[in-house]
Amino acid sequence: MVKNAAARVDTRRATLSRWLDPDETTLAILLLAPTAILLSVMIVYPVGRLIYTSFLDLSLTSGLPSRFSGLANYQQMLDDPVFWQATWNTILITLITVPGSLLVGLGLALLANLPFQMKWPMRLSLLIPWALPLSFAGLIFAWFFHSEYGVVNDMLNRIGLPGVIWFNSPRLAFTAICLTIIWKASSFMAMIILAGLQTIPRSLYEAADVDGAGRVRQFFEITLPLLKPTIVVALIFRTITSLQTFDIPYMMTGGGPGTSTATLAMYIHQNTVSFLDLGYGSALAVVMFGLSMCVTALYLRMIRGSETVS
Amino acid sequence: MAGLLLGFGAFAFATAASAETTLKMFVTSQGQPGIWRKVLDQYEARNPGVKVAIELGGATSDLQAQYLNTVLTAKDSSLDVLMLDVIRPAQFAAAGWTSPIASANMSSYLRAYAEANTVDGKVVALPAFADSMFLYYRKDLLDKYGLKPPTTWDELATAAKKIADGEQNPGLQGLSFQGKAIEGAVCTFLVPYWSQGKAVVKDGKLDFDREAATKSLALWKSFADNGVAKKNIAEVATDDTRKEFQAGNVVFAVNWAYAWAMTQGADSAVVGKVGVARLPAVTGGEQATCLGGWEWGVSAFSKNQEEAKKLVEYLSSPEVSKFMAINGSLLPSYPNLYRDADVTKAVPWFADAQPIVETAKPRPVTPRYNEVSEAIRTTVNAVLAGVTTPADGAAQIEARLKRILR
Repeated sequence: MVKNAAARVDTRRATLSRWLDPDETTLAILLLAPTAILLSVMIVYPVGRLIYTSFLDLSLTSGLPSRFSGLANYQQMLDDPVFWQATWNTILITLITVPGSLLVGLGLALLANLPFQMKWPMRLSLLIPWALPLSFAGLIFAWFFHSEYGVVNDMLNRIGLPGVIWFNSPRLAFTAICLTIIWKASSFMAMIILAGLQTIPRSLYEAADVDGAGRVRQFFEITLPLLKPTIVVALIFRTITSLQTFDIPYMMTGGGPGTSTATLAMYIHQNTVSFLDLGYGSALAVVMFGLSMCVTALYLRMIRGSETVS
Repeated sequence: MAGLLLGFGAFAFATAASAETTLKMFVTSQGQPGIWRKVLDQYEARNPGVKVAIELGGATSDLQAQYLNTVLTAKDSSLDVLMLDVIRPAQFAAAGWTSPIASANMSSYLRAYAEANTVDGKVVALPAFADSMFLYYRKDLLDKYGLKPPTTWDELATAAKKIADGEQNPGLQGLSFQGKAIEGAVCTFLVPYWSQGKAVVKDGKLDFDREAATKSLALWKSFADNGVAKKNIAEVATDDTRKEFQAGNVVFAVNWAYAWAMTQGADSAVVGKVGVARLPAVTGGEQATCLGGWEWGVSAFSKNQEEAKKLVEYLSSPEVSKFMAINGSLLPSYPNLYRDADVTKAVPWFADAQPIVETAKPRPVTPRYNEVSEAIRTTVNAVLAGVTTPADGAAQIEARLKRILR
């Protein structure tokens, strides 16, 4: 009896000491636990729920309870021309605006990094497009491109070119959207790149000057290689946000004419918020999630690749 | 000590004041909130203890519905009274978003509104005002060229041409209508389609006539192609039409009743020059128009059910209906008000509007109306922008409606 009690005390002490002085495995579990819990609450559960919903026939307008329908929502996608168009538009916007905003952003960053006396007007003008809400930018540019009252057609007229009805043609509407996204996104790119530029030691350029390297050579041999990690980070952010493009086309064309400028994010919004078809909307969202994951994985490989080289 | 007592007194007073009910009423921003405010001021004066706050949102019917969809799927109790487009009460009732109003007697309203607000024998909302699409025209210009208001779309095109040739004013459009992918574009499509004696839904089943649909789309496209309407008609929304007509830049305009009050305002270029008529028919067809109008619903999630229902009954009363007809040119939902002397003095053409409203056709009634609407309006928009041919457009509408209404 006494022995038993003593043994109990012993085990209790052992448990306590394991908590107070944990071995490495327990310590690892303890330290990881907060992150793991946070991840499951913030990511695993919602994503799991999303995937689960995508297998349901769940439409709030039907008045029927939700029903497991297997891959029916995905089947529907295959036969849905709007889905294909929206996906293709999303990919095309990414392929055009990501390099576009990188180039413009790089140019702006280099400009802002020039040894001006007055740096702030340049930097302020970089900040403004970035600080503007996306939908607001879309609204402003919808007016800019308006066929009658728009400033773009007015400028075209002033240089002797005929104005065009931007939102009457899929191609022109798409162009207008891409130009707006590039305008909006390049300031974000510029700010990240500017931060990267400022970490490059001035002494490298001074040494290059001594060695007689010109500005162009300096750019390609010093600036660009040292900027690479910064650019990759900027590209990851930019690519993922561009796969989720919603606000600007939504405000500018609403996906029109017809459905020719709709994006995947807009189509998800339409199916869930407007049609209240949560099952199909979730299936579409799963596709978008998959797309984002693929792109991120690709970039991560790229970074790992460049790390092993350096 | 005195200060403390005073403070306590003020606190007690504040709680007493907040004991009164504040109702939140959702109104679309195109719904003339300023005039509704006057009605509410009166209601507050008569009902001490009740305050009504207007929440504005959604410049178009679609945006309004999207907003309410999010609020109501979340079972949010912040809104008490909802202003709903006539196409919504059935949907909202099916989703369980509005509370039935037991006390209402629907027989005094125009029949279409009694029907639109009754679902399975229950009154789910009460009419705010009636509406339908009309043809607004420039009386002065038609008189000048000896023309009568057209009864067919061909006559309208001919008249527009004649006036354009005579006026030699490049800023003057023949016809303005809604080509943007908004709810109004659904009516744009339906008016000539119905005019050919066709229906979209019959006995709850799809009854689509592709040939009539092609003809309807081709008609609107021909206006854009032959210069009767502007080339950028695919950009034009309802209120753009109203603004252009009000500025004197349009001979004929397709619009709802609300446009009248604004064309008679101080900043209107066309005061005294406006006529209103029934929308034309396709040649050989009958004149048809789209039923509009807005309703007052009580949110099922409102915590002030009784007060909200009382307010809705007041807002839908003949008294308010008359006030809104005179001050907002909103068509009454009570038949006898169309002949009321005060109303016809303020809005003379209302005397002739009643038969038009009474024969206006409702858009397809289905809980999946949002999808039906989207299929039609994006196609109308694509055809007018020249992206799709009328025949392909009609085929697309048919294919999509088949999937939605299967």
